[in-house]
Amino acid sequence: MSRVYERIGTAIMEGDPEKTAKLAERGLKQGLSAKDILDNGMVVGMGEVGVRFKAGDMFVPEVLMSADAMQAGLGVLRPELLASGVQLIGKVLMGTVKGDLHDIGKNLVNMMCEGAGFDIVDIGFNADPEKFVEAIKEHQPDVVGMSAMLTTTMRAMAYTIKAIEEAGLRDRVKIMVGGAPVDAAFAERIGADGYGSNATAGVDLAQEFVSAA
Amino acid sequence: MTSSTPEGKERAPTPVVIIACQVLQDMLTHLLPQDLAKDVVFMDYGLHRVPGKMTGALQEAVDAIEEPSLVVLGYGLCGNGLRGIRAGQHTLLVPRTDDCIALLLGSYQAYMREFQAVPGTYYLSKGWLESGSHPLKEYEEYVPKYGSKEAMWLMDQQYQHYERLVLVAHNQADLETYRPQAEKVARFCERWGFRYEEILGSDAYIRRLVGLVLNLAAGTATIMDTVNGDFLIVPPGGKIHQEQFMR
Repeated sequence: MSRVYERIGTAIMEGDPEKTAKLAERGLKQGLSAKDILDNGMVVGMGEVGVRFKAGDMFVPEVLMSADAMQAGLGVLRPELLASGVQLIGKVLMGTVKGDLHDIGKNLVNMMCEGAGFDIVDIGFNADPEKFVEAIKEHQPDVVGMSAMLTTTMRAMAYTIKAIEEAGLRDRVKIMVGGAPVDAAFAERIGADGYGSNATAGVDLAQEFVSAA
Repeated sequence: MTSSTPEGKERAPTPVVIIACQVLQDMLTHLLPQDLAKDVVFMDYGLHRVPGKMTGALQEAVDAIEEPSLVVLGYGLCGNGLRGIRAGQHTLLVPRTDDCIALLLGSYQAYMREFQAVPGTYYLSKGWLESGSHPLKEYEEYVPKYGSKEAMWLMDQQYQHYERLVLVAHNQADLETYRPQAEKVARFCERWGFRYEEILGSDAYIRRLVGLVLNLAAGTATIMDTVNGDFLIVPPGGKIHQEQFMR
């Protein structure tokens, strides 16, 4: 394995966008594929960020900087990924639920899903159930992701799932939920298909959903 | 209301131990009878920063009570800080609210009204201004660590979608006292278009909590009086669950 992968992973963990972009360019020049740089470097680094955040060894500012670094790296790799004709593996529609305007986690999952080869439809923050329903009709995603940061807003996930059911769309999509107050028991109770405890887990879930389909 | 089971076995659990967040100190000290007020254990606000830490500290405090008691937790669910707390040999009594904002506003309904009107509200209270955090304080902590440009970028990421900064207090005196500090935070938050408002809440919720505690202790109320209401009772051997706060 190229040393570049490891160094990119470290640059992501350090939250250094310039370094990440430079290393991504160097990797491409060395003949590494964009997909490998992404999978073996950036995604690995971001995965480690998730683990450290969960353990309380990293905090929101560091995670934001790591996300920024990953964004910079993706900026370098994106044209290559598109040119290499990597097949999209599915479509993910993401939003934070009604009343919730904390979109840091959602943006992270989006980025990680893009890295994994998903087409992303981002309906933003504070999205009410109708907005989810309309967006599902319009974009026909394979997976719908919902996020909430507060116990006051997480219950809107249940209303959103209900609205999707009532619109007759529930069996067309897999639903994953996440965010600080959410856990697997809650996900099950409200009828979601899965729960991701961090961005990497969210992507794993989305991949599982489309590979099982 | 007084009620008992057909067997007449139901008895109020006594004695009473109150463990509460410092944010409720004024209200509780003022509303509780002297003999209860002097023994209230007030916990540091700092426990909020890491919810897992709050659970551990409260569990320790509950476990340290030797005699089977009615243990009142002066908290809400507090970002899942209370989730998983085990009653052990005690009976737990907790306001059924997400956090202290409902307790400062005076009711769960008042909180929901505010929440639905402007979800993007950042609440300031006496407690948070004294020992908690707020955007200005956070920024001041970020600057030496990350430099001012990076610090502001980090702040933007976290607060750009909020719309309103609210100073909430249960009495007019606190509003007056904390206004200058709150206005300073408000000026800083203008960069994201926050508007500043003050809301005068009430001590009604805490007053009802105190009334319930006294009635339970005196045996003039039973735990059945709390079912599906504004308070949560966890019997001995039970555990606090997140869904018990959902309503």
